[in-house]
Amino acid sequence: MSHQVKSIALAGIPNCGKTTLFNTLTGNTQRVGNWPGVTVEKVEGTFRLGDQQVRVADLPGTQNLNPDTEDQKVAERVIRGGEYDVVLNVVDACHLERSLYLTLDLRERSSQVIVLLNMIDIAEKEGLHINVEHLEKKLGLRIIPVSAIDKESVQSAVKALETAIEKLPPHGEHPSQTEVMDTVAKYAHIDELYSEVVDEKVDRRANITGRIDRVVLNRFAAVPIFLLAMFLMFWLAIGLGSAFIDFFDILGGLLFADLPGALLGSIGTPAWLLTLVGAIGAGAQTVATFVPVVFFMFFALAILEDLGYMARVSVVADRFMRLLGLPGTAFIPMITGFGCTVPAVMAARTLTTRRDRFMTIFMAPFMSCGARLPVYALFCAALFKESSALMVFLIYLAGLFMAIVTGLVLKGTLFKGAPSYFVMDLPLYHAPRPTAICRYAWLRLVSFVKKAGTILVAAVCILTMLDSVGLDENGVSFGGTTSETSLLARAGKSMSPVLEPMGIAEDNWPASVALLTGLFAKEAIVGTLNSLYATLDDTAAAEGPDEGAGGLDIGGTIREAFGSIRGGMAGLFASMDLLGLGLVTEDAEVIQEEIGADDRVYAHIAAKFSKVSAFAYLLFVLMYFPCLAVIGAARKEMGGFFAGVMAVYSTLLAWSVSTLFYQIAEGHSALWMVVSVLVLGGTYGGLFLLGKKERARTPELKRIF
Amino acid sequence: MSPCTLADTDVRKVYRIKGFGDPSSAYASKLRCMGFTDGTTVEHVPGASHDPQIFFVRGSRVALRKSEARQVFVEELV
Repeated sequence: MSHQVKSIALAGIPNCGKTTLFNTLTGNTQRVGNWPGVTVEKVEGTFRLGDQQVRVADLPGTQNLNPDTEDQKVAERVIRGGEYDVVLNVVDACHLERSLYLTLDLRERSSQVIVLLNMIDIAEKEGLHINVEHLEKKLGLRIIPVSAIDKESVQSAVKALETAIEKLPPHGEHPSQTEVMDTVAKYAHIDELYSEVVDEKVDRRANITGRIDRVVLNRFAAVPIFLLAMFLMFWLAIGLGSAFIDFFDILGGLLFADLPGALLGSIGTPAWLLTLVGAIGAGAQTVATFVPVVFFMFFALAILEDLGYMARVSVVADRFMRLLGLPGTAFIPMITGFGCTVPAVMAARTLTTRRDRFMTIFMAPFMSCGARLPVYALFCAALFKESSALMVFLIYLAGLFMAIVTGLVLKGTLFKGAPSYFVMDLPLYHAPRPTAICRYAWLRLVSFVKKAGTILVAAVCILTMLDSVGLDENGVSFGGTTSETSLLARAGKSMSPVLEPMGIAEDNWPASVALLTGLFAKEAIVGTLNSLYATLDDTAAAEGPDEGAGGLDIGGTIREAFGSIRGGMAGLFASMDLLGLGLVTEDAEVIQEEIGADDRVYAHIAAKFSKVSAFAYLLFVLMYFPCLAVIGAARKEMGGFFAGVMAVYSTLLAWSVSTLFYQIAEGHSALWMVVSVLVLGGTYGGLFLLGKKERARTPELKRIF
Repeated sequence: MSPCTLADTDVRKVYRIKGFGDPSSAYASKLRCMGFTDGTTVEHVPGASHDPQIFFVRGSRVALRKSEARQVFVEELV
């Protein structure tokens, strides 16, 4: 080719088929990256154009090049910056008038624009006949018809693209002959074009999309249909995802912890190095256990998005989300948080403005995730007996309440400003495409493993080391499991004075340590309580060495991993109890079997907690520092500063609310009541000042927030 | 026909956009970019959501909050 093209940007309005085209073009070579300074993702890949590999970027969908949202800014910056040699404007033939607005914007800014007229086959079915040649002549741009879901059609389009590129004017030539028009003039021009090139044969208002919307958005049926859709999404993500957790856990343990440990052990590696490798392995194993739930959550979201229903969900949810100053689109990440907060945080990226994304991420951890439920179940079985279900229900309600409070607080402090308006383009419904959905979920999963995983492995590594390093009168020792002499245990004991105002006495240090290990993942709390309370008994001293010392059975472990899938799938339909409330029962034996709790734990919990202090502890577990995976995901979405603010805010809130509750109900210390209220007030004031500082530091935020 | 707002429109009737309450607002600018320009015909979609409301404009279905639809002035096409 004489006209050198090394990079191409795909630009188009949202839902015009850019990503479908991108995936068909690039196959499996795409990678995900962030633009500097923004959290909106672009996706890059390569494809073959003639005799050379060309870099192609899928830009966020945008209606125009007058940016009013973060994603539009990305597209605008790329096009203005001229970073890519050619802009391929993907135009939705079914929404030609809307699409042409961006085309005119692009034509004003660049001479290197080629139009790909996508979904022309669907437009024909919709009764729209477009005279492509005439449109090409009127626009003065080369137009290539394409059906992005059809591989052959895309291949033909690529060949046509080679020719079209040859005919482009030289790089750097400004489109001076193009008249720059304002919005009204542009649409007047589009109206003229449309009437000349489009022949509408049927009334499109009565199409299948219109008929489905009459039911799906009906004022009485909309909410029940919406709840059913959400239930199915949960079931797919959590139910199906959970069926594979053991598989990834067992296999991850074998690959990342057991095998490296056995290999290094056989060549006489020093204990400290073995501990370090074990810690890294444990971190990687923890990341692996999140893989299935994260994948299926994005898989489920992709189905709803591809179908066209997600836009309708936003419409239904907007009725109540607006009270928090958020658009209806913020609802999806929130309910995802009931399953697992990590995909909830990541799902927030579907929101358009930074303010909405950040507020939603701050609120999501208060929706009690499945990992916290075993903790509630354990305490309920030990203390609350017949009122267990009510207690857990109250905890869930408390989480919902705190999420609402957080939304209202943030609206007036850190993310102060006018609430964003709600304008939602409702796309045509179409059947979900399996390949596109799998690719979408895969890309998001890879992104999660790369970013959140790195942080999680590092953090798990540090905490495991602390747990493995013993410090007593004999000096420092490595390799000891959680015990009274480990650094982690010492840290837990040192926390007791801080936790005493919420009813955790100094001699109840295992409860403090459990909160520390809960930083890894909330699942660790039950395991820590179980292990530490057991060590308080004399009988525990007689326990033998670790079972794992007997040797590594690779074949057996792999068989066990695959066997776990069968077991998980068998229990899939039983997982209709998505919140796992079936676990909440007064039957201690059922709890013991489900969560592996030791008999002695109940006695210790009953002895060391009162009902009030136990409820305060559960409130703290509900609200304090989200697990490290969540912080990792939040850092990826919001940056380190806001992820840090979120962690501090949630922990201060957890301490104040738990302390206030305990002191009002049982402690009766006026001093601590005053201190908790002061901490709450200070937190509010801190958020207010931070918000003010941020808005002053970044003038651009004034408008966004 | 006297002008009313988009929020007050009847279903199945066709209206023409006459302008915005605050033409310089970001919201008005956003809607104009989405095709809600003066003179454009718009129809309130029947049987759908009460608030947000659904409108058919330039071949697309667009959902707007009732409070925000009140900022768009329209007149009925006879």
